[in-house]
Amino acid sequence: MTPDPRATGAQRYSVDADMPGQLHAALVRSTVAHGVVRSIDTSAVPPGTAVLVAQDVADLPLYGCQIADQRVLAGDRVRFAGDVVAAVAAPTAAEARAAAQAVLVDIDELPGVFDALEATREDAPLLHESLSVSDNEAAYFGIRPVRGTNICHRFRIRHGDVDAGFAGAAVVVEGTFRTPSAAHAPMEPHATVGRFTDDGRLEIVTGTQTPFNLRMELAALFGMDEEDVRVVVPPMGGSFGAKTFTRIEAIVAALARKTGRPIKLVLDRTEEFVTLNRHPSIVQVRLGATAQGDLVAKAVTCWADTGAYADCGPGVAQKMGFAAPGPYRLPHCSVDAYAVYTNTPPNGAYRGYGAMQSIWASERTMDMLAAKLGMSPLDLRRRNLLRDGDIYPTGETMHDTCFAELLERAATAVDYEADPTGKGLSLIMKGMQTPSRAAIAVEREGEDGYVVRCATTEIGQGSRRTLQLLAAEQLGCRPEQIRVPDPDTDRVPFDTRTTSSRSTAMMGRALVVACAALLEDGRRGYGEISEPGGLDPDTGQGIASSHWHQAAAAAEVSVDEETGVVRLARVHCPVYAGRVVNAPGADLQNEGAMFMGLGTALFEAIDFSQGQVTNANLSDYNIPTAEDVGACTHELVEREGAPIHGLGETALPPVPPAIGNALASLGIELYDLPMTSERVLAAIDRRAAGPVDAALEARES
Amino acid sequence: MRVGFVLDDAPVEVEVAADQMLVDALRDLGRLSVRQTCGIGVCGACTVLVDGEPASGCLMLTAQVEGRSVTTVDGLPSEDPVLAAFTEAHAFQCGWCTPGMVLTVKAMLADDATVQRDEAAAALGGNLCRCGCYSRILDAVDLAAQQITSRSSKEQ
Repeated sequence: MTPDPRATGAQRYSVDADMPGQLHAALVRSTVAHGVVRSIDTSAVPPGTAVLVAQDVADLPLYGCQIADQRVLAGDRVRFAGDVVAAVAAPTAAEARAAAQAVLVDIDELPGVFDALEATREDAPLLHESLSVSDNEAAYFGIRPVRGTNICHRFRIRHGDVDAGFAGAAVVVEGTFRTPSAAHAPMEPHATVGRFTDDGRLEIVTGTQTPFNLRMELAALFGMDEEDVRVVVPPMGGSFGAKTFTRIEAIVAALARKTGRPIKLVLDRTEEFVTLNRHPSIVQVRLGATAQGDLVAKAVTCWADTGAYADCGPGVAQKMGFAAPGPYRLPHCSVDAYAVYTNTPPNGAYRGYGAMQSIWASERTMDMLAAKLGMSPLDLRRRNLLRDGDIYPTGETMHDTCFAELLERAATAVDYEADPTGKGLSLIMKGMQTPSRAAIAVEREGEDGYVVRCATTEIGQGSRRTLQLLAAEQLGCRPEQIRVPDPDTDRVPFDTRTTSSRSTAMMGRALVVACAALLEDGRRGYGEISEPGGLDPDTGQGIASSHWHQAAAAAEVSVDEETGVVRLARVHCPVYAGRVVNAPGADLQNEGAMFMGLGTALFEAIDFSQGQVTNANLSDYNIPTAEDVGACTHELVEREGAPIHGLGETALPPVPPAIGNALASLGIELYDLPMTSERVLAAIDRRAAGPVDAALEARES
Repeated sequence: MRVGFVLDDAPVEVEVAADQMLVDALRDLGRLSVRQTCGIGVCGACTVLVDGEPASGCLMLTAQVEGRSVTTVDGLPSEDPVLAAFTEAHAFQCGWCTPGMVLTVKAMLADDATVQRDEAAAALGGNLCRCGCYSRILDAVDLAAQQITSRSSKEQ
């Protein structure tokens, strides 16, 4: 067997890309969370070093994938500790870093706001005075900025009559749940190399999940035709959402424009923690049921802290909102979701894309309701779960549902019915970006080969292999006869992005069409698929997702009540795959998502002090290791004749509430992630103080 | 300063700054499988073997390998049992951490080819995989260990 290039180290990433004559860049960042830049003194920078300051980019417009709120350099106002105020370029990376340190930035500090709820108060400092919706294709839904506030998007679902529903409820529970910021922590940092060619084109080699959104944004920034911007994407050393939309590419292009030289920029690990993180959230849930355990009403309010710039925060808040009802029949439901600016690093796409946050709150609330009803959490879920033909609060009719089977598989894995003590369950659904389209081309190459041209990027998820396998199946050849080159916007059909677990489901189907067209034509074929849909932002009515990602989880835990340490005896995650194409790839994605969920559940959080990240490295910010995951198992559930379901993210969101509910079965009620020993000990103290409702009231007062 | 060492079985001599880290020297020598990632020796992605022992290239000065032998995955033969085991077990997704994993496993199995799964997991504590391929990485350790023990029993 020929060893895989990933094993031999032969795979090359953006970090490894060079352009002849390149200079290396380094960034100068704000040291304060909010302030007015008084001066930038570059006199100590060694000669021969190029410096890019705000005046150099003053001609470039505001950009942002959903809200145009960001400048290539921060200018006279900095909005988070880490905001880039200047950039330098020198012959070597070491010289560039030294030069960046020689730039002196004088900033007058302004009051900052670091919490999404506080940021919505009338007296909160305002981060952006005016907001305009971006014309990037990523702003594909109705965005509703609230003028004169820090709210850059609000989204609502209105279904039935919630007040009437609660009036008819025999039992009502409520709680407020928080989740922290988290790091994607891809092993490969952000890395970009770029240049302007002699004929005036902009060429960028970068790690990005969104090559065409990036092309669109760079073209708009530099006043170019999109066809004059070329984005090439080598495989990435992980991303998990971190490498989406415009990150460091605009700064690289601006430095290239100024110097006339190619520019390479690679972030260091500390900078990764101020580049793009996960949205911290506050989610309030109120849930009512009849005495028999039929859900009658649910009201949810979500605040997604999007940091200093919106990025795709509106989309994340929306998804947080429409994941909030959960996989249960609800005659009456209202959801209000807000994306809110704070003086912290920008938050954006993160595996799960907002669903994890509202699922944590909703699935914990289900167990609180079961406790108050005196009912088994398993039976409460069984009684209410969505089946084909049920109507979701968005008005869409559920199809291809698998919730009953997933729930039973999870429960069986921990023998839940025999004894639920120390055990917890969760059941979840998560949407795929809708509306959505994908396009792909297949051509004959040489004697017996084919080349697949598509914008799906390789992040480690195995898309390249999946496309090879699918094409081989359609064309009746071996996968090795199919070549899938790196995405290059000059050579591949337009596609939106490699996100939302949509590539196998969408690009895979487009590939089937393209292969059929090739077999007809003999030489080449083109395939395009689109899924209509989308939601009215004011009512939440429409189609949230063309198909739903579905999963359950079960956890069995024990707790050292002296130290608060949670020991996992078992975590099991069944995920609905519909149909699996690339078995090892699907298995690895599912398991990896589950492990990431374990980190989210138990220990991952970016810590801040007045907006400054205080654990910006991999020694203080811990991610799961080989020793942490031994108790975890998972399975992919397939069905004869079922369509392909995305599965890159689905196993992450169910893990935290399954563990949280296992703790709750021991009387240890947690509302905030991660479930650290300190929080577990505090919950043990609350348990000693009295029943759950008393603890909740104490917390809320 | 000039530093001479053996890199993947071939002698090399490099002119480096006294404070240059080994990871940078190796990348300058074309060993792009050695990857700067955390910069503080906790993630293992820049692991190399120095005289057969795993070391973090981001913590070691180039000058420290004067007269010593440095092994990267580029120096492993294509029939190496650990490379084969990682490939067979599909023990990677993005592949960024894999060379460091492979070298740590090489050293682990050279030390004790009968290593148990939980011991292997502990020994890999200094090699992070954010994709979360740990189960299959441990499968690869098992596969490689079997291969190595069956080879050595044949030799006896």
